[in-house]
Amino acid sequence: MLQAFKEYLQTKTSISDEQFQRITEGVVTRKIKKDSVLLKKGDVTSYTFFVMKGLLRAYSIDEQGKEHVIQFAPENNWVGDRNSFCFNEPAIFIVDAIEDSEVVCIDQHFFERTGQHAPQFNRFNVIALNNLIRFMQRRVNLLLSATAEQRYLDFIELYPSLTLRVPQWMIASYLGITPESLSRVRKELAKRNFKSI
Amino acid sequence: MKTKTVQQVLPPPAPHMVGDGFRVHNFFPGGYNMGQKRMSPFFLLDYNAKIDFSPRETPRGVGVHPHRGFETVTIAYQGAVAHHDSYGHSGVIRAGDVQWMTAASGVLHKEYHEAEYSKQGGLFQMVQLWVNLPAKDKMSTPKYQSITAGEMNHYDIPGNGGRVDVIAGEFNGVKGSAFTFTPIHLYNVRINKGTSLTINLPENYNTGMVVIEGGIKVNESADAPQDNFVLFKNDGDTFTITATEDSVVLVLSGEPIDEPIAAYGPFLMNTHEELEQAFSDFNRGVFGYLED
Repeated sequence: MLQAFKEYLQTKTSISDEQFQRITEGVVTRKIKKDSVLLKKGDVTSYTFFVMKGLLRAYSIDEQGKEHVIQFAPENNWVGDRNSFCFNEPAIFIVDAIEDSEVVCIDQHFFERTGQHAPQFNRFNVIALNNLIRFMQRRVNLLLSATAEQRYLDFIELYPSLTLRVPQWMIASYLGITPESLSRVRKELAKRNFKSI
Repeated sequence: MKTKTVQQVLPPPAPHMVGDGFRVHNFFPGGYNMGQKRMSPFFLLDYNAKIDFSPRETPRGVGVHPHRGFETVTIAYQGAVAHHDSYGHSGVIRAGDVQWMTAASGVLHKEYHEAEYSKQGGLFQMVQLWVNLPAKDKMSTPKYQSITAGEMNHYDIPGNGGRVDVIAGEFNGVKGSAFTFTPIHLYNVRINKGTSLTINLPENYNTGMVVIEGGIKVNESADAPQDNFVLFKNDGDTFTITATEDSVVLVLSGEPIDEPIAAYGPFLMNTHEELEQAFSDFNRGVFGYLED
C-alpha cells in the first residue's frame, strides 16, 4: 500500500524495511478523485501529503475570484499548507486533484518519530527543506524579474511532462502570466524551432 | 497449413473518454494488460463502440496534443471526424474512410467531430490504432495517407458473401493502398450471414480482430459477438470466420518489431533518453504550433 512512499524514502536515505515498517505504523493513505478537494482554505490541518500517484495542485483565490497556482505536485512530491500543518493557522491554500490521485497523509509527529527511529533521515530532511527554500527563492526571483519566456523555459526544464498533464490556463496561472501570453510564448518558440516540411 | 487458434475472445473493457468526443474501450496495451509487445507492431487499440451523440453546435473532440515515434490509424465506421495539424494539414474522415497518419518525428494535432455531423448528432463508431515504427524510421518526416471508402481496393467474397476491404497489405491477391514501414495486413471484412471465409496470415504475425458489427464464429468453435476482440495465438497460419449475422470485422496482423519500447503518453520511442528528448522538443516548439 505504501510501496511508492517506501521506494521514495529508500532512494533518499538508507532507511531499512524494518525502520520503514516502524515509522509508518498507523500512517494512512487517501484516494482523491480528479477535481476533488483535499484541503480547503481556512482548514486547520495536522497533515501534509506525499503524492504516490496522480497530480495535485496548491492554489489561492484572490478577491476577484482569480486562481493563483502556487505549486504542482506530481508523483514523489509533497503538498500541503505549511501555515496550517506547521503553525496550526487556517490554511491559505486550497489543495485539489488534477488527476485521480493517491496520497500518504503525514501527521506532524512523523518527522520527529522518523528522526528518532532512523537518525539518517534527519540529514535528508534538512537537505529537503533547504532545497525547498532554494526552489521558492528561485521562483520568487523569476516572478519578480524574468520574462514570460524565461519563466516558461524554467518550468519545462523542471517539469518536462506536466505540459501534457495540466491545462494551459493552469500553467499560465503558475507562471503568473495570462493564458494568451503563454500561447504567444509557445508560438514564438515554435517559430524559432519548428522546421516545416 | 496449420490452424491459427484463438487465444481469447475479449469483451470490451470499461470505456474512458478521450477529450469529450471519443468514448473508447482500450483493448491493448492497458485494457487487458497484454503487455506493450503482445500485438506489436500495433501498440494500442482504442475502440469507440457505437454511441449516439446528441446534436451540438460546438463539436466534441480532443484538443491539441503531440505524437512522436509511431503512426495513428483512424478507421471510421459511423460519424465523421475533422482533424488539423501543426504542418497545416486538415481533412475529414467519414464513415468507411481510413486516415493513416505517420507522426514519426512529431506533429501536433487535434481531432473533433466534423461540424455538420456534430450539429446533427447521431451514431459514432471508430477505431484508432497506434502502429509502432522501427527505430530507423521513428524520426522520419510526418505524412498522411487518406484512403477514402470509394478508393479502397476490395476482394469480393464468392457466392455474394460480402467483401474484404483491404486497407494495407494483401488479401487473396488484392493489395491495400496504404504504405507501411513494416509488413502489416489490415482489412475490413464485410461478410454476410452464413458465409465462411478463410484468412491466411503468417504464423509469427501478431493477429487480432475486432467484431465491429454482427457476430462470428472463429474456426467453427469460438463465438465472437459484436464489440469483442479476438486474440490469436502465434501457432498457425490459417483461420476461418463464419458470420452468424451480417457482420463487419476488422482484421489486424503484423510482423512484430523486435526492439525495446520506451513509451509515455503520446510518445513511443526506444529509449528513455529519446523520450526525454521528445518532451523537450514538444515543449520548445519543435513540433510546431497549433491553436486549440
